[in-house]
Order: sequence, then C-alpha cells, then structure tokens
Amino acid sequence: MSAEPLLEVDDLSVRFDTDEGPVQAVDRVSFALAPGEVLGIVGESGCGKSVTCMSLVRLLPETAKVSGSVRFGGADLLALGPRRLRRVRGREISYIFQEPMTSLNPVFTVGDQIGEVVRRHLDLSRRDARRRAVELLQLVRIPAPQRRVDEYPHQLSGGMRQRVMIAMALACDPKVLIADEPTTALDVTIQAGILDLMREVREKLGTAIVLVTHNLGVVADIADRVIVMYAGRKVEEAPAAELFAAPQHPYTVGLLGAIPRPGERRERLEEIPGRVPASARPLEHCVFADRCRYADETTRTQVPDLRPVRPGHLVACFHPEAERAA
Amino acid sequence: MSIVAQDVERPRVADSRRRLRVLGKRFLRRPMAVGGLLVVLAFVVVAIFAPLLAPFGVGHTDFNAVLAKPSSKHLLGTDDLGRDELSRLIWGTRASMQVGVLATLLAMVVAVPIGMLAGYYRGWVDHVIARLTDVLLAFPFLILAVGLAAILGPSLLNVTLALGIGSIPGFIRIARGETLALREADYVPAAVLNGANDATIIFRHILPNMTNTLIVQATVTIPGAILGEAILSFLNLGPQPPAVSWGTMLQEAEPYLTQAQRLAVYPGVAIILAVLAFNVLGDGLRDVLDPRTTR
Amino acid sequence: MSAASVLEVEELVKHFPVGRGLVGSSGTVHAVDGVSFELREGEMLGLVGESGSGKTTLANCVVRLLEPTSGSIRLHGRDITHLSRRELRPLRRSLHMVFQDPFSSLNPRMTVGEIVAEPLRLHRLAGRKTRESRVIETFERVGLGPEHRFRYPHELSGGQRQRVGLARSLILEPSVLVADEPVSALDVSVQASILNLLRDLQRDMGFSCLFITHDLATVEFLCDRIAVMYLGQLVEVASRDAIFRDPQHPYTQALLSAAVVPDPAEQRKRRRVVLEGDPPSPLAPPSGCRFHTRCPLHDLSAPQSDEVEPALREFAPDHLVACHLVAPGTPAPRISGVEASVA
Repeated sequence: MSAEPLLEVDDLSVRFDTDEGPVQAVDRVSFALAPGEVLGIVGESGCGKSVTCMSLVRLLPETAKVSGSVRFGGADLLALGPRRLRRVRGREISYIFQEPMTSLNPVFTVGDQIGEVVRRHLDLSRRDARRRAVELLQLVRIPAPQRRVDEYPHQLSGGMRQRVMIAMALACDPKVLIADEPTTALDVTIQAGILDLMREVREKLGTAIVLVTHNLGVVADIADRVIVMYAGRKVEEAPAAELFAAPQHPYTVGLLGAIPRPGERRERLEEIPGRVPASARPLEHCVFADRCRYADETTRTQVPDLRPVRPGHLVACFHPEAERAA
Repeated sequence: MSIVAQDVERPRVADSRRRLRVLGKRFLRRPMAVGGLLVVLAFVVVAIFAPLLAPFGVGHTDFNAVLAKPSSKHLLGTDDLGRDELSRLIWGTRASMQVGVLATLLAMVVAVPIGMLAGYYRGWVDHVIARLTDVLLAFPFLILAVGLAAILGPSLLNVTLALGIGSIPGFIRIARGETLALREADYVPAAVLNGANDATIIFRHILPNMTNTLIVQATVTIPGAILGEAILSFLNLGPQPPAVSWGTMLQEAEPYLTQAQRLAVYPGVAIILAVLAFNVLGDGLRDVLDPRTTR
Repeated sequence: MSAASVLEVEELVKHFPVGRGLVGSSGTVHAVDGVSFELREGEMLGLVGESGSGKTTLANCVVRLLEPTSGSIRLHGRDITHLSRRELRPLRRSLHMVFQDPFSSLNPRMTVGEIVAEPLRLHRLAGRKTRESRVIETFERVGLGPEHRFRYPHELSGGQRQRVGLARSLILEPSVLVADEPVSALDVSVQASILNLLRDLQRDMGFSCLFITHDLATVEFLCDRIAVMYLGQLVEVASRDAIFRDPQHPYTQALLSAAVVPDPAEQRKRRRVVLEGDPPSPLAPPSGCRFHTRCPLHDLSAPQSDEVEPALREFAPDHLVACHLVAPGTPAPRISGVEASVA
C-alpha cells in the first residue's frame, strides 16, 4: 500500500448517450493499484464495475464519453495515441473476459493464438513463439501442453479455455492483469482451480490483478483490497479482511446480509428494499438514499464524499456503521 | 398470506406508451427512413384518392391532342392516343400499389402459416416444406412470376397472383426461421405447462412476436412486386387497355422513345421513387424495431 | 420422515441422439442415466449439480416437457411417463415450473396480468370476473401490487419478472413446483428477496418443490433434503444436515470444499480440493463409477470403481450414497482438507 502505485485512476467518469437520455455509467471514481496487489471491484449488474475496467485500457465504444485520468508508467492512458496505447494493451496491461467461449477465435489453434500475441509484442520467431506458448500453457497448469498447443478452442473445456485466456494474457509478462468476471461462467469446482491459478500468478510473477466480480466469495478468497461500487459510484473501499469484518456502507452491509452462507442457518435472508436507480444525471443526494434505512434529511439533500473512517478504509456515507454504533 | 412486498421495486419505464415514444424518436433520427415513409404515404394517398385526383378518366382520349407537350390542359402532356399522362400516372399508381400490397398480403397469408408449421413441428413436416421452398427459391423470382403470368393470362389480377405466389418462398423462410427461434423462448414451455395446446402456443405466443419481422419483410416485398408488375407489363403480361399501370405505361411508351421520352420518364421515375422509398423505409424499420439497436 | 411422496421418479433415463445425418446417429448424449428419487409432501428438495450434470434435463422430464427414454415418473401415484400432451393437460393443474431466465420466460407481447391469468383461462377454471380477482390475489401473494397487472414484462425489473413467473406457476395452487435455477440470473440483493418469497410461499401453500441449482449455499438456506447429481446420475441424497455436516461421496465433499465463503478469514483457512481433469463428456460417460476419472480417492477405490457402477445405497437412515468406498455404517474417507463446513 505504501509502495508507489502502478496504476492511478483519478476522477474517472463514463457517460453514454442513449435514446433514454444520457446515462452516467461511472461517476468520478478514483483508486490506485499497487504492484503485485489484487484489487477486487464488486457490485451488482449495472453498477459500472466492468465499464470502469474497460475504460482503463479504452475498450469502450466510441459513444462512451470518458473523462478523468488513468496514470500508468508516467503516461495518461486516456490521452495516449493509438500506437502507444496498443503497446500498453496486451503487453503491460492485459485483459481477460468473462466468456472464454467467445474470446478465442475458433479457427486458430491455441498455440497460434498465444503465439500471435507474443510475436506481435515481443518480436519472436515462429519457433520461439511456439516454445513460449507451450511454456505458458504449462504455467497455467494445462496438462500435456505439448499436445494442447495444437488443439482448437472447441476441443477444450470451459475451464481449460479460461486457462488459455489467462496464458494469453500473461504472454508478455504484463504488470497488470484485469480480470472481468473470470470465473462467473465456470462451475465451482473449476472456479476453485482458476482462483488458485490467479493467486499463483500473482505470487510467482508479481502481476497486479484487478478482479471484477459480483461474487463476494471470490473477492473474499483472493483480493487484498476491495472497492464496492453502486450505481456508478465507489461507495466503499477497504482492505478485504476489514471490509468483510466491519463493512461501513449500508449497501455493503445489505449485500453481505443478502447472501446465504454455508454453515449458517437463517430463517430469512436480508433484503435490500427498492432497486438500483436508473443512473441518469449526476445526483444531488446520496445514490443509496431511497433504499437506505438510515436515510435522513442530509442524505436526501447532499452527496456524501468518500472519507476515511479508518486508515485505508473509505466510505461515501453520512452514517457509516462505525459512527452509528457510537 | 404473510407476504407483503419486500422490495417495492419501481418499474423502470413509466408505461408502454413510453416505448412507442422511444421507437418514434429512433425513427425520427433516421432522415432517410422518414423521407421514405413520406413518399410511401404520398403514393398511398394518391392511390386511394385516384378518382378524385385524376383530371380525366382511365379510358378518356383526346384525339385533338395526340402526343401533346405539357400544357395547362394536360399538365404532363398526352400519349399517342391523346390520353392525359397525369391521369394515367395517377390511375397507374393505384394499380401498381394495389399489385404491390395485394401480392404481398397474398404471399403472407399463404406463407406464414406454412412457415410456422414447419418451424413449430420440425421433423418431416419441416423437411418437406424446407425442400419445396428450396426448389421454389432455385427459380429466380421473376422467371417464376413470368411463367405463372404466362400460364394465367394477362390481367392485373393474374399479375398480382403470379407475383404473390412468387413471393411465397421468401416469406416461408422468414416465418420458419422466426418460429424456430421463438419456440426456444422459455415462455413456450411455460405455456405448455399452463395447459396450452398447439394452436394457443402458435397464435398467442409465437405469431404476435414475429410481427416486427413480418412488417420489415413486407416493406421489401412490396417494392419487389411493384418492380415485378412493371416487368411483367413490359412483357405484355400485365393489365390490358384501357386498364393502366406504371408497367403498361412504360410498355406503351417504348415505340415513342425517340419522339417523346417523357412518356417513359414519368412511369420510370414513379417506379424508382416507390421502390427506393419502400426500401429505405424497410431498412429504417429494421433498425428501429431491432431490440439490439441502442441509437 | 416418511411423509407420503407426491412424485416418484424411478430409474429415469433420457438420452438424446446427436449428429443425425445421412450416416445415421453418430452418438448419444446420456443426459440423465438412471435417476431415482421421491419428492415428499410439502418438502423442498434441492437438486445440486454443475453444468452438464443433466439437472435441467431431469427437470424437463419431471414436468413432462420432455418424454423420458425409459424409467417412470409417477405424480400422485399416477404414471405420467409416456402420457401424450392431451392426456397430460388436465394433470398440468398440479404441476408447474419456474424458469431460470425471467426475461425469456414471459411473453413480451402480453401484459403480466394476462400472463398470470393464462393457466386459469386455459383450464376454463373461472369466469372473467373471478379470474381477475384470482390474479389480484396471486399478485398480492408474490408481493406485486394489483396495478402491475397492466404492465408488460419489459417494464418490470428482473426481480419483479421472476415474481410474475412465480405467480403464473402458483395461481392454480399446484402440489408440485419445479424451480430451475430461479435466482441465478438475478442480482445478489434481488436473489435474497426471491428466495425469502419462495420459502414463505412454500410454507403458506404447502406445495412440494424440486429446487434445482448449482449453488450449495442456496440449497442449504432453502431445502430440507438435497440430492447431488454428477454426469446424469445421483451420487448422494440426504437431509440437509447430513449433506453439509457429513458429506460422504467424494464429489459432494469436493463440491463443498470448492464453494467460496464471503468471509476472507474463513475462506483463506479452507483448503479446497481441486478436481483434476476435465468433466467427462456425457456423450461418452466413463465406465464404472462416473466420477472415477476425477476422484481424489481414486487410489482407494480402484480398480473396482473403474469397472463396476456403484449403486445408490443406504449409508445411514435416509442417507443414500453411490460410492464403492461407502457401506452402511462405513463412512467414506475424508478428502484431505475437507472438514464439515459447519463450525
């Protein structure tokens, strides 16, 4: 945490113009990523977690209006020319998507696809590229990599495909790996293996990981620090252990109460009344106000700023858990 | 009975009229499509009110003005028999639009049930229908229509029949494909569990959901039929005098191409305009009605 | 314990031919391969399995959207395995299903009021007036206001749509409800409200429910008994307590250990079993015990498990296990690192 941040996101906002009017998908989100850190970004669908990550390496369509800055290696990624951006993408920051089925090209072998990445970025010969591909498959623990390297994506299972995706992402030894719901499409027994692999990657290669997920269990498993997003805003940020032990934002508290946990017998799950507001214009009140049981006059008329309740624990709430108890 | 709403979720959109408004907005954002719609509406109005708009009757001849240039009496001039060109163009609009719309309706009425049967029951029914459609599609549309028109004999009704029949295979394909896709939606098995029979499923759950696609298909079939009518008429398979359509006008203008090009230009422009208008309207509708469109 | 069963499934098999072409059938998907269980009156039975386990096919057979290849399904003692659609129609009143996808399961061209009224209409159970009041009453039950009747599905949120789906399947007060992953397409906070609702409805109305899911924590919250399915077969059937406190089948043990707990302290302490290898294809299920290719205890069970298919046998009262390593009174060895998840 004290180390110089690798990636620094400042006041990132993303807006889409649609038929229903402008939609503020991400609203002034800031965070930093330290080298070798696993940062979890959690939230429900439409909270802006994926959009945030896609905008880091400018994967959003033209219609998205992005503002703020993303500092990486002394440059602002949002202002980078296409050439330099391509050099960063895939080589220094790589991205893995939720759906390993559609992210691989069905007409090329696994080896060709990994090879293409390394040849493009590292200027290796065909033979070296293949050797590197086998090496990478080994790294992601694909059995019999010598044989697998010549197989086509349809010959692999979902878990194997996701491993191939990770291998491709790691091909150039990136400093940052952005993983967007990497285990959501997978079964639990397969998910466990992928999580272990990501942990290993971090430990062996020192890759920093941004993990986007809706699954709090996955975050609990692997993240060092967690950001909770709601309706385009960052509402809470804390070290993982602290977030789960002492959540501050009523939304985080509600989310944790809503999931059934193994070994815990409850009569009812906690519900969060209401629904996510259709994010439109910047609000003049707390985004969570109309669903919050502690909402009062202040909540309905002012926007809470993110503020520390403890070192390293930020929350955007007028009535965080800690202060209410006091 | 202790269940009270735990989450008082509010609907995202206030009411369904809002959706129509959104569709309307999307449509208005496409100037080409709006232009197409206006032209189509203009033709429809002319076709419906032809008797009121045409200065002269269908068969009216004026032997004092044969091949006359445009004048105040005959705004667009006259043809070789002294018939008023403007009147003929207006009456022709009526005939051509009639052929386009009726042929398309005929094709839809016949093809949609067949296509739906194939898509819904699959199996051998589908096999037979799909193969027959393929065979029909193997004949170019026009050759098929020309052949049919030749067999049926020249008249506006027969042209309509021929073009309608010629458009059937395309519609079967569309209806079959849509049905295949729609029957995969979970509301179909849900209807089975409700105790629905096949007729309920087909008419209540599948047909209403394919109307968008059918409308779009119609907007491309109508201009096809209008063009087809022109070609059949040009080949003398169309309506016989004194009946008039854009196609017969074109055909009758042919001998005078060197002396009075305008006789060919009027119906030609009308045909091009109508075909173009329907096509851009269809393109626009396809984009607007496609749920994946966000703009 | 021995409540009367409303639904009995015996040796159910559903095979799908694949790749039929000129050369004939090139293979068979063994989606469900000899499954037997009973659904008892007023119980919630959880059917847990991963993708490809055949749980959805099993559900579709049970509600007779599919016709089983062999075996039998008895609803209130009546054999419905091979009844035609027409013969089934009157029986549909006592059997309905909630689907996974709240978007695709509601006809976009009908108001949700019409959607919920359809079962009444099709069974000609009520006149227009009574139908209306039944719909309103059912809406109330699932936590929707009567004014929602006039809305179209796309105007509702995912959670509301799933409530409509529940209303449709419960308006005829069926005795059996099959719920196929009814919350997995929903957001976490909405899942909670639907799960609570389902539990309340079940207690109020007393229907029996076959709840299908891949999520262990959900069945633990909701279900009285749990059946674990792997590659077309049941590997373990037991009460909730037995499954979670004393899982026997190595697959059940692995599944429990792989589930993630939203608590870093707890989660990072857990040692999980990562199953080796890929799940086998249901086109060519392994011989013998279907789990033997990935079983962490394979060293102990081989060679018997490679050749002989283990039967689902009673290990303890009301606790069935299909594993060679388990015999009445002899529990399976623990897979290293797996402790019962309950402190």
